[in-house]
Amino acid sequence: MLTLSLRKSKLYINALVLGGLGLGLFLVMVLALSQGAFHIPADTVVQILLSKLGLAEASYNLQQYNVLWQIRVPRILLSMIVGGALGIAGAALQGLFRNPLVEPGIIGVSSGAALFAVIFIVFGSHLTLFTDTFGAFTLPIMAFLGGLLSVFLVYQLASGQGKTDISLLILAGVAINALAAALIGLVIFYGDDTAIRNYTFWSLGDVGGASWDKVGIAFLLAVLPSGIILAQYGGLNALAMGEAEAFHVGINVQKVKFIVLFFSALMVGVGVSMTGIIGFVGLIVPHLIRLVFGADHRLVLPASFLLGALLLAIADLLARTIVSPAEMPIGILTAVIGCPFFIWLIRNIRKTTN
Amino acid sequence: MLQAKNIHFCIRQRPIVDQADVLLQAGELLAVLGPNGAGKSTLLKILSGEISCKKGDIRYNGFPIRGLSSRALARVRAVMPQHCSLSFPFKAIEVVELGLGSQTISSPDDLLREVMTETNTWELRDQQYGKLSGGEKQRVQLARVLVQIWEIKPYPRYLLLDEPTSSMDIAQQHHVLQIVSRLKERNIGILAIVHDLNLAAAYADKVALLKDGVIRHQGEAAAVLTSENLEKTFDHPVKVAKDPDNDQLIIISRKQTNPFTHEIKQA
Repeated sequence: MLTLSLRKSKLYINALVLGGLGLGLFLVMVLALSQGAFHIPADTVVQILLSKLGLAEASYNLQQYNVLWQIRVPRILLSMIVGGALGIAGAALQGLFRNPLVEPGIIGVSSGAALFAVIFIVFGSHLTLFTDTFGAFTLPIMAFLGGLLSVFLVYQLASGQGKTDISLLILAGVAINALAAALIGLVIFYGDDTAIRNYTFWSLGDVGGASWDKVGIAFLLAVLPSGIILAQYGGLNALAMGEAEAFHVGINVQKVKFIVLFFSALMVGVGVSMTGIIGFVGLIVPHLIRLVFGADHRLVLPASFLLGALLLAIADLLARTIVSPAEMPIGILTAVIGCPFFIWLIRNIRKTTN
Repeated sequence: MLQAKNIHFCIRQRPIVDQADVLLQAGELLAVLGPNGAGKSTLLKILSGEISCKKGDIRYNGFPIRGLSSRALARVRAVMPQHCSLSFPFKAIEVVELGLGSQTISSPDDLLREVMTETNTWELRDQQYGKLSGGEKQRVQLARVLVQIWEIKPYPRYLLLDEPTSSMDIAQQHHVLQIVSRLKERNIGILAIVHDLNLAAAYADKVALLKDGVIRHQGEAAAVLTSENLEKTFDHPVKVAKDPDNDQLIIISRKQTNPFTHEIKQA
C-alpha cells in the first residue's frame, strides 16, 4: 500500500465513491421507474430499457411501454438532472462564498429565477418577440436571467475591495428574496385567471410535467454547464484559503468567480423554470459529501451532482407514492427533510466557532 | 531581482506606503522591521501584486508586475499570509498541495513529501487543518508556500513572508528561519516581515526599517541595526550589543525610564 502514490490512491478512492454513487443512482432509477400508480415489475423495466438501447429482445405490453417511456423515464431523468444541478451549484456556490450555509435559495438565485419565470408565465402572451426567437427555451432563459440578476445584485451588495462579507451576503439574500416575493405578488395581482392558474401549478414545485422536450433542454442547459463547473475544482479549492491566497498560488480569481456565478445561475434558473423552487437540496448534498469524504472539490463537485440526483429521484419517488394515486409537490418533501437539517447545521456551526 | 521603485499607496488621501524603494536579490534574506501600523503588511501586499498602486514600478526579474498574469506571477513568487483559516475541512496535505496551483510538476508526491518532511509537517498530513495548533498551521502554510517555489528553476524566485513565526515557540522560530535561510541556495530571495528584532539580527542579510509608510533605513543588517536607528523607528530605548560567543547582534529593549528618550521622540 505504501508504494501506491498518495495522489493515485486518492484518485482511486474518488473513483470508488463516484462509482458507488452512480450505482446507487441506477438502482434508485430502476426502483423509481417500476413504482407508481401503475406498477411495472423491475425486470420488465430493465428489459424495456435494454431493448430501447437495442441490447435485448423484450416481452412487454404496449401500456407498460408507454407509461414507462413517455411518462416515467422523462420525469425521473428530469428530477435527476434538476437534483444534480442543484447539488453541484450548491457545492460550487458554497466553495465560492467560503460558507457552508450558502444555498441557491438563500442567496436569492431561486427566487430571482422564479420572479422572471412568473413574469413570463403571466405576461408571456405579450412577449411574442421573445417567445418567437427562443421557442421552448424562453422560460428557462428568463429564469436564468432572473437568477443571474439576483446573484449579481447579492454579490455586489456583499462585496467590496475584493472581499465578500458573508453576513452581508446572507442579509442581502434575505432582502432580494423578500423583494422577489413581493414582486411575484405584484405580477400575480395584475395577471388574469388563466395566468394565475398556470402560476399556481408551476409554483407547487413538481416534476410531473416532464416531457422529452424538457429533458432535452434541461440536459443542454443544466448538465453541460455542470461539466464547466467541474473543471473549476482547483480554483474552488484554492479559494477556500481566501481570495488573496488563491491569487497568490496563481488562480485567476475573477474568472473562477464569474464562471461559477454565471453557470450556477444558469443551472438553478433552468431547474426552477422546469420544476419550481425546490429548496435545500443544494444545501444538504454538498455538506453530506464534505462530512463523509472531505473537502477536496475534485470529489465534492461530481459527488454532489450524483447525490443531488439520487436525493431528488428518491424525493420524487416518495412524492408519487406516499399519497398515491394523488401526488405531493416535491418541494414540500425536500423542505420537510431539509429544514431540520439546516437548523442542525446552524447549531453545529455555532458550536464549532465558539 | 525583485525591484520596487517609488511605490505609493494611499487610503483616503493618507499615505500607507510612501514612495518606498525596495530591492531584493535572489539569495538574500531581507527583514522588514517597524512598529505596528507602519505599513509593513501593505508593502508586502503591493509587492505580491495583491493590491496595485497608482504610482511606482515593480519588476520581477525585470518584468513589470502589471504585465504578469496571476499564473505567471505564481511561478516567480510565493506569499505566506499572517493568518490563514480554511472554510472547509481540508487535510493538512491537501492544504500543502494547494501550493502546486496550476503548475505541472514531474513528481508531485516526492515534492510534497520532501517539503513536508523539511517543515516537520509530514506526520500531520492526514489531520484536519482546522484542528491543528497555531504553530502547526503556520508550518503547514510554510510548507504550502515552499511547494510553490521549491523546484529549481533557471530564473530566480522570491518568497514573501508576513510574520511567519508569530505563533511559534523559540525552537520552532529558529527552525523556520533556518529552513527559510536554506532557500537562498535555491536561487530564492526572501522578504520577511519580522516582529522579533533578535530573530532578524540572527538571520537577515539585509534589513529595512519602516515607519509611517516610509523606509527610513535599508541596507546590510549590521549597518542598519544600530541603537540609534532602532530607537527612532520604534520610539523606544533600545540597546544593541554583541554576543561575546559568536559576534551575533543582540538587541535589548529597555524600560522607558531615561528622560533622554523624550528627546529622541521629539527629534
